[in-house]
Amino acid sequence: MNRNEFRSEMIRSELEDIVGQHFVSVDESDKLVYSTDWSWMPQMWLDRGQPLPTPDYIVHPDSAEQIAEIMDIANKYRIPVVPWGGGSGTQGGALPLFGGILLDTKRMDKIIEIDEVSLKVTAQAGINGEQLEWALHEKGLMLPHYAAASRCATLGGYLAPRGTGTISTKYGKAEDMVLNMQIVLPTGEIIRTAPVPQHAAGPDWPRLFLGAEGTFGVITEATMRLDYLPEARLMRAVLFTDLSKALEAGRLIMTRRLHPFVIRLYDPESTRSQVKKVLGLDYEGAYMVMGFDGDPDIAALEEQKALAICTGLGGQDVGRAPGEAWWEHRYDFYYPPLSLHLPWMYGTTETVTTYDKIEPLYWAVKRAVEEGFPEWDIKFIAHFSHWFHWGVMCYSRFIIEEPPADAQEALQLHNRVWQAAMQAVIDNGGMINEHHGIGLKLGRYMRQQYGDAWPFMLRLKKMIDPNGIMNPGKVGFGF
Amino acid sequence: MPLENAVLTTDNCRYCLMCRHVCPVGHVTRLETLTPHGWGLLISSKQRGLIDWTDSAVDKLYTCADCGTCQSHCVTDQPLPSAIAEARAEVAELGLAPANLYSLNEAISRWGNPYAESEPDAVTGTGEVALFVGDDARYLWPDGLKAALTLLRAVGMDPVLIGAGRNSGYLPSSLGFPETARRLARANLDDLQASQATTLLTLNPGDTYAFRKLYSERLGIDFPANVAIKEVTTLLAEHLGAGTLTLRRAGGGPPHAYVDPAHTVRVADRDAAPRQLLAAVMPAPAVELFWRRERSHPAGSTSLRFANPMIAEHLTYARLGDARESGAQLLFCEDAGTLSALSSKAPRFGLTIRGLYELLAEQLV
Repeated sequence: MNRNEFRSEMIRSELEDIVGQHFVSVDESDKLVYSTDWSWMPQMWLDRGQPLPTPDYIVHPDSAEQIAEIMDIANKYRIPVVPWGGGSGTQGGALPLFGGILLDTKRMDKIIEIDEVSLKVTAQAGINGEQLEWALHEKGLMLPHYAAASRCATLGGYLAPRGTGTISTKYGKAEDMVLNMQIVLPTGEIIRTAPVPQHAAGPDWPRLFLGAEGTFGVITEATMRLDYLPEARLMRAVLFTDLSKALEAGRLIMTRRLHPFVIRLYDPESTRSQVKKVLGLDYEGAYMVMGFDGDPDIAALEEQKALAICTGLGGQDVGRAPGEAWWEHRYDFYYPPLSLHLPWMYGTTETVTTYDKIEPLYWAVKRAVEEGFPEWDIKFIAHFSHWFHWGVMCYSRFIIEEPPADAQEALQLHNRVWQAAMQAVIDNGGMINEHHGIGLKLGRYMRQQYGDAWPFMLRLKKMIDPNGIMNPGKVGFGF
Repeated sequence: MPLENAVLTTDNCRYCLMCRHVCPVGHVTRLETLTPHGWGLLISSKQRGLIDWTDSAVDKLYTCADCGTCQSHCVTDQPLPSAIAEARAEVAELGLAPANLYSLNEAISRWGNPYAESEPDAVTGTGEVALFVGDDARYLWPDGLKAALTLLRAVGMDPVLIGAGRNSGYLPSSLGFPETARRLARANLDDLQASQATTLLTLNPGDTYAFRKLYSERLGIDFPANVAIKEVTTLLAEHLGAGTLTLRRAGGGPPHAYVDPAHTVRVADRDAAPRQLLAAVMPAPAVELFWRRERSHPAGSTSLRFANPMIAEHLTYARLGDARESGAQLLFCEDAGTLSALSSKAPRFGLTIRGLYELLAEQLV
């Protein structure tokens, strides 16, 4: 046995002492499955028959205490720890690029308490989102983070990349629902944030862990605020011939403080392609879905006022049925072969900005992608799906149906398209991401995004994770 | 299933995570590899030369319960269980399947069932209605069969028994032995033809699924178009509704629940009938399990009990744990395989298991 083999066996043995032999795997088929998340890059790589970097150990802890002990081992041997929830990230945030310990949190899936008075749930971070939702439904409650990934993602996975769900426009992002968290720091300490988030007892440091994507530690438990299941959900669809007018309608609905739980506005290309393919609705123009929920009378009144704004701007009310069809089939877009799929090349270059910038930003990214790569017959589709009082998120995607067959060539082209899109985003005042996270893919834009603040973030990382063990290579942090 | 369809399916499923939340094996193991996405990725990676069918990889291939829950929750109806069965057939053909399955296949091939060295019963008589008995009802829970026949006679039916002691073909198909499955399927259809029946009754959704879908989709065998298939619970619920089946209410008892049998999710709208029957005789409403109806999980009674008994056992524990969590103390089911699996572990959960058919037969007026 050589030195590396001996060291490897030592680490494995120590990990088994913590979680039990059954919960540490070094099996090649397990390593293959955990070598890819839901991002295009590794999926394409495997699709072309190319092996990926794999974790050295796949470990399944069942408590924060076990994770704390695992951190000790990782610090002692200076090996990476990559947290893994549902593996549904699209930016490569869970890829075990440098081997080490892949920490699958799914055994930590207990609901600790459902509080029907204060409307909150405390659960371990490895619980599956949809299973949590079903348990809440049994009590007439919901965790209103209805992400497309809810069927596969974990509660921790909602929070780590600052996820946004379908009904965020009324209920907020996942991070807005957090009351408190338990976190295992890279140094092995187990800490708890304050019981409630709205107070004045010092700075709002718990938010450091939201969006850190496991680079600052592992979220092991969270208490989330809940809502009652709505008595009514009213869906409506409006068709605009002019995208600009549709964006203005959305802005007025939000700034006048109406409370749609969803506004989803598809650009004309997306309406022609995606909406037709998945929902079977054959429209020209920009298809907008609006939803109002809660008390039936209030929902109906708000819907009426929103509809008046839309029709006043030239929108055509196409009734409830197309809106209800969208609500019923809103996740169908993610099932193959309806979803974007290999061997195509694709990427979600989503962004968020204020209302004054959103339209120029949309056109700038569209131009950069469509005009920058004419030889690849690239398609650009977008929808505007998470609306705030001050601005809106643009969920744009590029698609190349016949990309290079060679894996390396394909990866290079993918990077070039991303570069064009992200530069247009930054140049036009957008954020490089609204809810998919930074992961591996967008790390290289963090310095440009944050400018003078970036060295401060690097110092934070160094202070929280002195040995750099946590999810190396992600969120723009070093190795 | 044609190989090209299996390849297409696993290519679709390898990176799709949208049924993760309903997979019973993924739920009890919490392992990424043991989910529909994991199985799809292993099979597609083998096709791309990224892995070999090592003992470990084959073991993982044989951990799918073949319960159909993933497909029933798939918006695009990807037949992943059939694609996995196809991959298992390839592995078995290469001599790489778990060793115990070859001897099991020999036994099924010889006797038609994995439980006894005994030939299936020959069909005697003819009639408009036949009842498929199968092997589980014959060998694992024979009281249920007797009670079902009592109930059928009470509504004026005396079905011709077919396939008594013979598996539907699901078991060998699921384990990667399609030729054995075809032989059993043809024998069952020969029995059906000999009975001259135009209605085939089944005792559980697993058999309904086999005749309605598995034969054509996996085995390339057409079920006769002129024969209707109906579950006994559905038939009895119809008679109850029509007033041609009268049941008296039972006395008091502990909180109870109905356990949806394996393969429930594969048969549309079959979950209401047994609940109607149970509600007609029990003195209080049933409590519901968390994993119920369209999201019901099987006990360890599918092909998994032969392919991976340990995980099958965990599925049984999970059902019993779910029942205990719901507050039930008494569980009912009509499926022999499910009853057998639950009964073997119920005492340690403080639960009592009873056959639904037996309960109903006792309450006949």
